[in-house]
Amino acid sequence: MQQNSTAKQPMAESHKKRPSQGIPDVIFKWILILPATIAVIALLIFPFMFTLAASFTDWHLFNLNAPINFIGFKMWASVLTSSYIHTTTWNTIFFVGLALPLEFLLGMTVALALNAATFGRTFFRVFFLMPLMFNPIAVVFLIGKLMLQEDIGPINDVLMGLGFPRIMWLSDPSMAKITIVLVDVWQHTAFMILMFLAGLQSLPQEPFEAAVVDGATAVQRFRFISLPLLGPVALTAVLIRGLDAFKVVDIIYSLTGGGPGQATESVTLTVFRTGVKGGDIAFGSAASYLLLILMAVFTALVLFATRKWVRVSY
Amino acid sequence: MAGERRLGRVIAYIILVTWTFVVGIPTYWLIITAFKRPEAINRGATYFPWVDFQPSLLAFYDVFVLQGLANSRPFVNSVVVALATATISTIIGGAGGYALARFPFRVGPLNNDRIAFGFLIQRMFPPAVLLIPFLILFRTLRLLDTREGLVLVYCAFSIPFVVWMMRDFFRSLPVEIEESALIDGCNRLGVLFRIAIPLSAPGFVTAFVLVMIGSWNEFLFALTFMFNKAVTLPLYLTLQTSIQAGTEYWNMAVIAIFSILPVAVAGLLLERYITRGLTFGAVK
Repeated sequence: MQQNSTAKQPMAESHKKRPSQGIPDVIFKWILILPATIAVIALLIFPFMFTLAASFTDWHLFNLNAPINFIGFKMWASVLTSSYIHTTTWNTIFFVGLALPLEFLLGMTVALALNAATFGRTFFRVFFLMPLMFNPIAVVFLIGKLMLQEDIGPINDVLMGLGFPRIMWLSDPSMAKITIVLVDVWQHTAFMILMFLAGLQSLPQEPFEAAVVDGATAVQRFRFISLPLLGPVALTAVLIRGLDAFKVVDIIYSLTGGGPGQATESVTLTVFRTGVKGGDIAFGSAASYLLLILMAVFTALVLFATRKWVRVSY
Repeated sequence: MAGERRLGRVIAYIILVTWTFVVGIPTYWLIITAFKRPEAINRGATYFPWVDFQPSLLAFYDVFVLQGLANSRPFVNSVVVALATATISTIIGGAGGYALARFPFRVGPLNNDRIAFGFLIQRMFPPAVLLIPFLILFRTLRLLDTREGLVLVYCAFSIPFVVWMMRDFFRSLPVEIEESALIDGCNRLGVLFRIAIPLSAPGFVTAFVLVMIGSWNEFLFALTFMFNKAVTLPLYLTLQTSIQAGTEYWNMAVIAIFSILPVAVAGLLLERYITRGLTFGAVK
């Protein structure tokens, strides 16, 4: 019986003749995929739903004896009108809005240079990948706490030697916003370089040869051949890096702790502060879903803005 | 034409050398800081060993001998958590990826592509959304401040990624080899263990190393759920730099170097393999 049921599977048609023993394919495939599916449903999808449900309650961890009530959109209303949330939302958008274009442009520039290079290309490629392997806290330490140290850091030392005033990288609130971007750019430009280099190397050679024959300059070849063909890679890079940047928390927590004041606090850090440390489960849940909405809007905007140039195929 | 090409190459090398300095100087600074004595740091910026400061091994002595016991625990935690996460999620995710690459699935509107995309999309969701349910779960199951808890969370994040990556990898292998083995009388398990897994070893190594790097470097969940005995290196580094009023830069530099070294070495040695994983297979 078991062998018959195996033979009815579309994939197994070509091996009807085999003396099939062991587990039938139809069971085997489910045994293989079930652990991963259970893990995703139990540890990701269920928790996502849990958080959504919690955002409609008044659940507070420190009110031990108080019953948990569903209060509809009240918690959402207080999140959306909270000036604390407004500040950290704008901080997050500012961070992405500055870091993403910087990393995009620097990454493309370096990747183009790498693509044009002949001597030492492997060295440069491997060396430029290095920051991506570092843990973000070590990056915070070496950029934020060593290089940009306000009193004894080498960058201020050199700048002051050149006659510039001392830059308050971390203690000036508006400067601190930029400093965390610099830390992120130092690490994650590597990702953009990687993407664009891989994209450039997979481009077909024929259009370039034809363009050279037709007398196109290097700038024209880049503008009219490379750039349009790089569209899908650029879009993927922007989406992956952009969505990642919205989640920023590690470098902020360990560099500024969200300060001075709340000048650098991101939404994820707010969720951590209110929901985890403050025990306000409902508020933290709603705030975390606000971040999810923010990321969905970002994705929609990027896809909408690029719909004419790039078709994604997934 | 030749002039234009030469000019382009000169500009390219100017950019490459500039970026080498951008990446290299902070790295150089981290390394020399580890060899500085406190005086060489506190009196202002010093740039070259033997020129404006005398290098010493004081910080290494401090970190490994004087505080060796305290420092070894986060290091061991990081190693154990990273290896356990990578092993578990490579096995579970690899199995899922193989199933999606080789067998047809149809569950309602879901086919193989949609299921695979469903796994991939998990990667995009913000971890902030998971902080609170995991907090409740960890409190209930008494997983707070345990390595097991951390492995559980990291596996949850890594498994979908491995499924997606390994499916992609298995699909790039010719199915004919497996089919002929079936015809020759090998069963499905034999095909999996004797043919599919050996052939896809580079894929497994890539997935293993990427998951290892990811969990080694993770910060938010470690910060939320670990506070004493299961602290990992990135968290330890943060705690050390924020607790002390006067940061011991020299000691922190040594710890930072050793928090970078294992994964950086693994990553750079396997650079060719992991590039594809890092780009999510977006570029073939």
